[in-house]
Amino acid sequence: MLIRVKNLVKRYGDLLALDHFNLEVREGEILGLLGPNGSGKTTTINCILALLKYDKGSVEVFGKPMTPDAYESKRNIGVVMQNVAVFLELTVEENIDYFCGMYVEDVKTRRALVEEAIEFVGLSEYRRFRPNKLSGGLLRRLNIACGIAHKPKLIILDEPTVAVDPQSRNKILEGIRELNRNGATVVYTSHYMEEVEQLCSRIVIMDKGKTLASGTKEELKAMINRGEIITVELYFLEPDDLAHIRQLPHVADAQYSANRLTVRYDNGQHNLLTLLDYLKSRGLSFERVYSEQPTLNDVFLEITGRQLRD
Amino acid sequence: MAMHVFKYRMKCLLRDRETVFWTMVFPLLLATMFHFAFGHLVGDTVSFEPVKVAVVDSPAYQNEVFLKEMLGALSAPGDGQVLDLTIADETEAQRLLSEGEVVGVITVGEDGLGSPVGGEGARSGSVRLTVAQSGLNQSILKAILDDYLHSYATVYSIVSQNPTALGGLIERLYSRSSYTRQVSYSEAVPKPMLSAFYALVAMACMYTSFWGMRNTIDVQADLSYQGARRSVAPTHKLAVVLCDFAAALLISLGEILVLLAYLVFALKVNFGDQIGFVVLTCLVGCVAGVSFGTFVGTLFRRSVGAKIGALIGATMAMSFLAGLMVVDMKHWVARNAPVLTYINPAALISDAFYSLYVYDNLNRFFVNIGLLLAISAAFCFVSYLQLRRERYASLRLTSRSYVRLRV
Repeated sequence: MLIRVKNLVKRYGDLLALDHFNLEVREGEILGLLGPNGSGKTTTINCILALLKYDKGSVEVFGKPMTPDAYESKRNIGVVMQNVAVFLELTVEENIDYFCGMYVEDVKTRRALVEEAIEFVGLSEYRRFRPNKLSGGLLRRLNIACGIAHKPKLIILDEPTVAVDPQSRNKILEGIRELNRNGATVVYTSHYMEEVEQLCSRIVIMDKGKTLASGTKEELKAMINRGEIITVELYFLEPDDLAHIRQLPHVADAQYSANRLTVRYDNGQHNLLTLLDYLKSRGLSFERVYSEQPTLNDVFLEITGRQLRD
Repeated sequence: MAMHVFKYRMKCLLRDRETVFWTMVFPLLLATMFHFAFGHLVGDTVSFEPVKVAVVDSPAYQNEVFLKEMLGALSAPGDGQVLDLTIADETEAQRLLSEGEVVGVITVGEDGLGSPVGGEGARSGSVRLTVAQSGLNQSILKAILDDYLHSYATVYSIVSQNPTALGGLIERLYSRSSYTRQVSYSEAVPKPMLSAFYALVAMACMYTSFWGMRNTIDVQADLSYQGARRSVAPTHKLAVVLCDFAAALLISLGEILVLLAYLVFALKVNFGDQIGFVVLTCLVGCVAGVSFGTFVGTLFRRSVGAKIGALIGATMAMSFLAGLMVVDMKHWVARNAPVLTYINPAALISDAFYSLYVYDNLNRFFVNIGLLLAISAAFCFVSYLQLRRERYASLRLTSRSYVRLRV
């Protein structure tokens, strides 16, 4: 286990930010910490990094208690902060070299690592630029390069794609996958469920400082009483047909209105095929068909009664 | 590792144009303004122009042998020349006066000085000074004539009442006795306006506190994102703080030496001839400045803007009390609130320069340097207590650097 957080309690005055929070991060995985704004994700990260005092609980990283002077552990951790943390007076290359130099003393090794990091985030042609000349997306890439240049075993990324254009976002997500393929364990916090779904091998959903659920995305979706929703544009449907559709396997509910048939499923597989076979057998002609898989937002909604982005 | 942090700190600070302006360019501009405002009062030599005066040529004047001799002596060319004498008839003399060619006209009445005893005769115009306006030169002329008339009356009185006392009188007339003893601690000529330039250097030293504050902001995780990133690196925080401090101190000293060179070589401000101690004062002044900035940076948990405001207010107050804006302020503080003189770093720096210039011994200088070092040590100690904190209660960041980014 690379990170083990036990019963962590953190208060900001009267506000309980972390409420006996537990977390385990296994070697080699990409763990997604998903939750709405203010759910305690960044507080958790800052406690893990020994930046914040906490009221109760314990944090272990690489099997050792994490403290501000745990330099050996820190040497193997790369952090990409939620906000861009670079010096405006230094160029792209100098910023990466500076932060890499706080981890790697050997100049030759460091030079090679800096070059690799610049290539990795695609900032080669901007290496002599100062940060205030870069766009938001390029700045985020620089922020990532500063955090991962020293090739850490554990990388913690705290919402690295906030306010980033789609092109840079894809580049960043692909980069994170590559880091993981190269052996790094990744902890990724976000309130973008699509990103977490797309990227993470295991997901922890948190809210109000507590863990609501954890598991793979399939496991999480299986936890809720809802499968896919299929919508079919039909010009005509007899009430008998609707009643029959409601009897098909795994159908939880079916409604027809405004020339649209909406079928909600509990779960199950090949639901679309079964429905289309039935419509064909009854000679019902249809136009467009949509299939919506359940999302992590549905999981969050089911558990809390609120939308993830409320 | 230390060299790496130091090198990049130097780059960061030297490229911070805003702070370089306030810590180096602004004092240079202020020094130039001071020079044009009162630079002529602090030069090594003050030139004295002889007072232009006209004497109305008349038989009565020609008969006043002693007056002629005195005026002749005072207008003899050379270092001691006091008067620039023109002898002219009355019309010409009045013309010169009205056109401003002379500042006064001396006229001897037809009866000459006659008997000045009793005063009435002398005052009634035996010798008359006519001026067109009042001023320093006019006062000098009046003082010369008053002195002459006073001596003339004294001699006249002694000759008429006690002629036996005449022996030795003439010699005593030419001698002046002082009944107070002047003890000089130095050969330097005190020049109050020098204090303003010394206070300016002191202000520049205190302005180096901006570097100290920037260092503090950049190292604390609860004040800047850069501080947070540096806090998660496997580098000892004290090592980073010391490297940053060394970089700030080196840059500060360089800036102050540039200012000093400008003052000495371009503006000809006299700092005495003990250049080693002058540089030592600059160094200790920079230590005090950077320490003070570090201290204010750690003192209270407010926004960066509030800290900068507090720092500007404090440095300006210190400089004001050290005599930057009002030269006499330094003396007023020394009389009315002497303790401020000993705890105000700007006043101590300014006084260290002044004592180097004025006093032959270094006692007062070393007292100033000692107090500055003690105050700096106090600033550093309190800052250390704050900076050594290893974890923060909250990370509500308000970094000015981040505000300037477009994310």
